Amino acid sequence: MSAGLNNPDSHEPLTPAMFHVLLALAGEDLHGYAILKEVELRTSGKVKLSTGTLYGIIKRLLADGLIIERRSRPAEADDDERRRYYRLTTQGREVAAAEAERMDELLSVARARNLLKRPRPA
Amino acid sequence: MDATDSRATRFYRALLRLLPFDFRGDFGPEMETVFHEQRKEAARRGGAAGVLRLWWETIVGIFKTAPSEHVAMFAQDAGFALRMMRKNPGFTLAAVLTLGLGIGANSAIFSVVNAVLLKPLPYEHGDRLVTLQQQAPRAGMLRQPFSVAEINDYRSQSHSLDGLVEYHNMNFILLGRSEPERVETGVVSWNYFDVFGVKPLFGRSFRADDEQPGAPAVLMLSYEYWIRSFGGDPTVVNKKFTMNDRVHTVVGVLPPVPQYPDENDVYMPTTACPFRSRPAFIANRQARMMQVFGRMKPGMSVSHSGADLNAVAANLQRAYPNDYPPAIDYSIRTASLEEELTHNARPTMLVLLGAAGFVLLIACANVANLNLARMVRRERELAVRAALGAGRVRMFRQLLTESSLLALIGGGLGLLFSWGALDLLVNFATRFTPRAREIHLDSTVLLFTLAVAVLTSVLSGTAPALAARDTVVDGLKEGSAQSTIGIGRRRMRSLLIVAQVAVSFLLLIGAGLMLRSFQKLQRVDPGFQPENVLTMQIGLDFTKYNTNDKQRAFFENFLEKVQAQSGVKSAAASMMIPLTNNMQMPGDFQIEGQAPVPGQALPVADFRVVSESYFDTLHVPVLDGRAFTRIDRPESPLVAVVNHAAARHFWGEQEAVGKRFSLDSGKTWTQIVGVVGDVKQYGLDKDAVDEIYMPLAQSPLLDAIVVVKTTVEPMSVARGIIELLYAVDPNQPAARVRSMEQVRAESVAAPRLTSNLLSIFALLALTIAATGIGGVMALAVGQRRHEIGVRMAVGARPGEILRMILGQGMALAGVGIVLGLIGAFALTRLLQTLLFEVGPTDLLTFVGVAIVLSAATLLACYVPARRAARVDPIIALRVE
Repeated sequence: MSAGLNNPDSHEPLTPAMFHVLLALAGEDLHGYAILKEVELRTSGKVKLSTGTLYGIIKRLLADGLIIERRSRPAEADDDERRRYYRLTTQGREVAAAEAERMDELLSVARARNLLKRPRPA
Repeated sequence: MDATDSRATRFYRALLRLLPFDFRGDFGPEMETVFHEQRKEAARRGGAAGVLRLWWETIVGIFKTAPSEHVAMFAQDAGFALRMMRKNPGFTLAAVLTLGLGIGANSAIFSVVNAVLLKPLPYEHGDRLVTLQQQAPRAGMLRQPFSVAEINDYRSQSHSLDGLVEYHNMNFILLGRSEPERVETGVVSWNYFDVFGVKPLFGRSFRADDEQPGAPAVLMLSYEYWIRSFGGDPTVVNKKFTMNDRVHTVVGVLPPVPQYPDENDVYMPTTACPFRSRPAFIANRQARMMQVFGRMKPGMSVSHSGADLNAVAANLQRAYPNDYPPAIDYSIRTASLEEELTHNARPTMLVLLGAAGFVLLIACANVANLNLARMVRRERELAVRAALGAGRVRMFRQLLTESSLLALIGGGLGLLFSWGALDLLVNFATRFTPRAREIHLDSTVLLFTLAVAVLTSVLSGTAPALAARDTVVDGLKEGSAQSTIGIGRRRMRSLLIVAQVAVSFLLLIGAGLMLRSFQKLQRVDPGFQPENVLTMQIGLDFTKYNTNDKQRAFFENFLEKVQAQSGVKSAAASMMIPLTNNMQMPGDFQIEGQAPVPGQALPVADFRVVSESYFDTLHVPVLDGRAFTRIDRPESPLVAVVNHAAARHFWGEQEAVGKRFSLDSGKTWTQIVGVVGDVKQYGLDKDAVDEIYMPLAQSPLLDAIVVVKTTVEPMSVARGIIELLYAVDPNQPAARVRSMEQVRAESVAAPRLTSNLLSIFALLALTIAATGIGGVMALAVGQRRHEIGVRMAVGARPGEILRMILGQGMALAGVGIVLGLIGAFALTRLLQTLLFEVGPTDLLTFVGVAIVLSAATLLACYVPARRAARVDPIIALRVE
């Protein structure tokens, strides 16, 4: 793994799908199906991840240390033992934030060039 | 779960199988759960259409994820494997080198097999081309060429061919360059290249009007001659050159295609040949000089075409009973051109490919053994990895990745080896087939090499990977790098050693038989002395030397000058020299006192024309009577000399000297004045044929080989003799200037190169096997130090230890040799066609090889055995 891990900015670029997964986990720890639902909901159904894509991303994020598998499990009633819950690490949060800022900068450029119809509410 | 559910789950699981094993292990069950929930929701919200859409997205997703996951997994394994390889440079080097040699041998030989035996002929209509030969076995004629009348008959009467073209070879003299140059010329039908489907590289092919009598002289250059003499200059088209007495225009350049039956420099239409154009020649049905090639109509088979052409042959027999008497058994032999071009090469190439395959097997066994040996030292690493949760499949794959990397690097090295050997291979294959020029390292060879590398990695990696199973368990249990290896694995290693010895034995036997055969060939008495003889071919300009007197005068004048040259003992001219095959002149004759029986074939012998000092120059012994002398002049009685075989064959117990025969049905008679020894005319491995020699003085020659016996190194007088030639006629070139020793060496080049190649393979095998057996014994000694220490502590002497280790090594070798012996008895029969006067189970070879192999393994075992004998019991026991 590269030394760049410690520096969120120098991290390998995130794919949009990876960013979505990080965003989904930024709120709370989720299991696989919940991540899918969350992404779908937040993008109004525009982004639908398949199981293959999702777990390819999860494997990569786990390997890069951006997420971890949570040890503690939810209350009995909600739990399905085959489910695993994932949590954003500090590192993951930094990478997601860096990505968001990068996008924000791009957006300001786009706004300055009048490419966006209306400015986003601050 | 209802039936739909379980079907869906089963299908989803099958889909997951596309993902790497580890990935499935990590996420499979979870993915199943998620998919189950997705499916429920899709059904609830979108019904059947929703479920279908989900399936589609899921399948696409898996197909997109699987390849990148596999690549990632391989990259990870490969990275680890590379680190392991760097950590063990000795092992890596040994394995890569062994595999490189093994794979290299295969891709090299395959590049030949591919070009010569597998690829279709590089002519557009290659698969439809056939060669035609007339045969009359009862008249001793097996591969007769055709006369003009016959060509016309077969062309007009055959139904199976849509093209029939002729070919013969002659030579022209190219003038106007620094020295006159003999130009080998193929004289062909105007549509020769169209029928073959060969398009010129530059310029055009011949046209029908080029072949009209009186048409301007044109020629096409062969690719090789164009490169050699014109440096590949495309502007050569339309240039004019003086050949003999005429100006010829270059109309085209041929692409690099195999030339058969001769390698020619240029091609001309049939009207360029003055002999072929003579009305008397055209009218004479017996004037057979041309080879014939046919192109079958599409969909026609060689056997169909053969039947059709034999129907034409039957027509000819009916129409011209005098030319084709029933007694001679006249027929047409049709063979595919591809077969004709490659049948000489096939047995040798297949034997070599087999041998290369064996070398690879040995290399694989050896690397497998190296791997097994290394596994002992890796027990702890593998055990730790297993303890950390690496599954068996994961470890299996890790080990296979390591062996694949070794094999791939070995394959790369092998390609380098075969690339380096390419020129040698082309040179080698040229002895067998005109297709040698097609040998390249093309994509087929690359693919083959890759396939061999993959096979190699499986062969050399599976055994150790399987052995890793016990390792995982044993390694942790005993927690020691010195634990005795499992019985299964030891057995596997012994088995691999036995296999290596057995296969080495086979290869050594093959090489040994070829060497013995070559040795016998070298010892064959050729019937003449090749030492200190210079030869050169002088083809006279047929337009200038157009009478018998001029031809005779030229050679007599020239030979006289050569004889007077210092360093020259004697000089002669001959139609052909021994051990070559460039000119055959079989002919039938009538023996005086044996009236020809109607319907029965006349006796046939090979006729040669030689000048008076020929037998003296080559030291062919005169057994009876005399050789030709100065008294044999054109106007004196016709005389001949026969060889021993002909004398015995045709005149039996009677003395041949003094007997007469006729070449023209009794009009004139030729008297035999001497009998000379038999000469190996067509090769050391061929029996002498019946020969009748005629004196040059009475049968002049246009194209002769001058032989010069020298008192000094023959090539050292060559230049002086060529200067003499220019002094006689400055426009007369000499070609193929070489010593008779060279001629002799070239005549056995094919078996020599084959036995050399087989020997290289066998030595390679022997080295690999011997180092392999030595390495295994060394490892065994290392592992048994403790045991050896105990033995010595209780009184075993070093000599006994030495014998014990040697005995164990030799026991393995012994089993291998016995198995190899059995294999050799079964397989050497395949070599039979390549052997000369050596049986495929030649006792001497078998015993010799057994001794060599035993000695090599003994030597290989001796080093570790001596180390074992020197074990200090105190140190060995203390270590434990």
